[in-house]
Amino acid sequence: MLSAVDSTLQHDLADRLAARYAGFAGWLRANAFCVTSADVAATLEVVRRMGQTDRDVLRWSLRALLCSRAQEWRRFDELFDAYFAAPNRRKLVETRAGGAGPLSHDDGACGPSDASEGTPVSLAGRGDGAAGEGAAANEGAALAESLAHADFRHLNDRDELFAIDAAIRRFAQRLRGIETRREQRASLGRTIDLRWTLRRSVSRGGLPVELGWRRKRRQRPRIVLLLDVSRSMSLYSFFFLRLARVLSGRLPDVHSFIFHTRLVCVDEALRDPDPRRAQERLHLISEGWAGGTRIGESLASFNEHYAPRLLHARTAVVIVSDGYDAGDVSALGESLAAIRRRCHSLVWLNPLAVRPGFQPVSAGMQAALPHLDLFAGARDLAGLERIFPQILEALQ
Amino acid sequence: MTTTDRMPDVLALQAKLAGHRFIVERSFAAALLLAMEMHRPLLLEGEAGVGKTEVAKALARLLDVPLIRLQCYEGLDAHAALYEWNYVHQLLAIKLFEQDARPLRDKEQDIFSERYLLKRPLLEAITTTPAPVLLIDEIDRTDEAFEAYLLELLSDFQLSIPELGVIRATERPYVILTSNATREISDALRRRCLYQYVDYPTFQRELMIVRTQVPEVPEALARQIVEFVHAVREMALRRKPGLAETLDWVAALLRLGVSALDENGVDRVMDSLAALVKTREDQASLTRPVVEKLVASC
Repeated sequence: MLSAVDSTLQHDLADRLAARYAGFAGWLRANAFCVTSADVAATLEVVRRMGQTDRDVLRWSLRALLCSRAQEWRRFDELFDAYFAAPNRRKLVETRAGGAGPLSHDDGACGPSDASEGTPVSLAGRGDGAAGEGAAANEGAALAESLAHADFRHLNDRDELFAIDAAIRRFAQRLRGIETRREQRASLGRTIDLRWTLRRSVSRGGLPVELGWRRKRRQRPRIVLLLDVSRSMSLYSFFFLRLARVLSGRLPDVHSFIFHTRLVCVDEALRDPDPRRAQERLHLISEGWAGGTRIGESLASFNEHYAPRLLHARTAVVIVSDGYDAGDVSALGESLAAIRRRCHSLVWLNPLAVRPGFQPVSAGMQAALPHLDLFAGARDLAGLERIFPQILEALQ
Repeated sequence: MTTTDRMPDVLALQAKLAGHRFIVERSFAAALLLAMEMHRPLLLEGEAGVGKTEVAKALARLLDVPLIRLQCYEGLDAHAALYEWNYVHQLLAIKLFEQDARPLRDKEQDIFSERYLLKRPLLEAITTTPAPVLLIDEIDRTDEAFEAYLLELLSDFQLSIPELGVIRATERPYVILTSNATREISDALRRRCLYQYVDYPTFQRELMIVRTQVPEVPEALARQIVEFVHAVREMALRRKPGLAETLDWVAALLRLGVSALDENGVDRVMDSLAALVKTREDQASLTRPVVEKLVASC
């Protein structure tokens, strides 16, 4: 009798423990970890294997299981403590994952890059209430001081979005890609793939009836967009942001950054399926920007934080700016040279260059010109479509 | 749910690894233990030169099993990584079979038998007994297509060969993947692995590593060297020196006959810096005054 009660109690306890650990996986998912339902089952298995008496062993094991990238790794300890430790017994455990280099700076790649990153969701005011409030406040601010920072209100003009989408679709179709050194099998080609020909001839008793061919593989370039959103560009920057949004939806490997006084990755914001929220995110990102454009410094920070991870021999970098640089012009030249060394092609689009009689005489443009593969003017869709052939040629 | 305490096991693994001259932190030992017990691949991410590859080598020594290594590179394809048919031998066999009176079906089965299969690292890893350690090095250098080949292997430990059928692992190999994060690895691959971020070692750990790897270095010099390297890592360099560079530098200093880092030895320190910093810009930023200051503070 007693043992029956005991066993139900135990059973109940086991269930509750299981629910507790399963809840931890859900808690991590709510904090933008990439956790799947398979991980929940694995969590229980890990707990069963490693026991739960030693908190450190449990922490290390679950960290190995549930983290899958460096950003998550860095936030894990805090979230673990917030979930498992009683508030008065939390102690700060520092995860050593400092070290500069690409890993510590790629916050743009995962999760929202706003101020709340790093704090657990519930602590940072989860739920749309707070975000909505912020949105309203920002809208007021944006109306009042629309000139004080970049204005993204016109990001979603439906008609123009459709027109851009159609143009980008044509562009993507014509983008054949960069010829790589690696060859691949093809039904037609220049050289005979001897191995494949032999393989095919096995079924013909060794007679090479059907030939196999190889040809150079073509791969679409990775596109990195660097958009100037300073005040002097304000007439054109919406158009290019819309373009970036469509482009990153159409092509798989597009990375967008905006800069003014500093440089920010806007991939996550642009990919947000909700256009209103995308707008809000851009607002938040550009909050408090003022003063002249520092192209050189922005590009230098791009080189420091993003270039090692993003630029390779098949990357096309497209900079959109009017070239009016309030910073150090020699820094601009150096940064561009560094980018040019690492990428396949470097294109600079200047909205002012479509004006009749335009000469790239500004100090910034003068410093930039020697490093560019293509310098062209474009400020609207019609203009951009006119120079598509040139851009396509530069990219492949 | 059991309530066993696994800390002794973790400590035992750490000690055993130390016995094979491989110093790890306790949390790392715990993750390694878990990966071994659950037969899950372990993905190691971190800067170059922090000893990611060494993990696999040490594990192979510890378990006393062979290490099978697949070095990834751009353009690596299934033929170089999984398996390939030995076409030349197959064709020779066909010619020989022409005089043979066996039925066609038997001949065909013979041509596509394991005799004509060339095993590449991944197939070799799942057919070897006892289970080897499989090191897939610098996975970020391959392209997405190759990652997809790995998925079947890493989740089910099996490979499909159209002509032969599915080959299942006789014993599950211990899989270690390393990445320098030059490219974002797909979530599908990450999900199948346990994850460990490997950072530059702490002062104590690096000192222990230097002392175990180069036993002839005097204690005081080792301490100074590690302090110097840690100070160099704090500087804004293009490429920070890793653990491998530290060990190289220790060897270089010993060869130059340096017994202590002090003002008299600055010349020889300058001479040996080639072992520590490896880009032109970084060497330019380690000027003589800078090195003198670093040496004085060690």
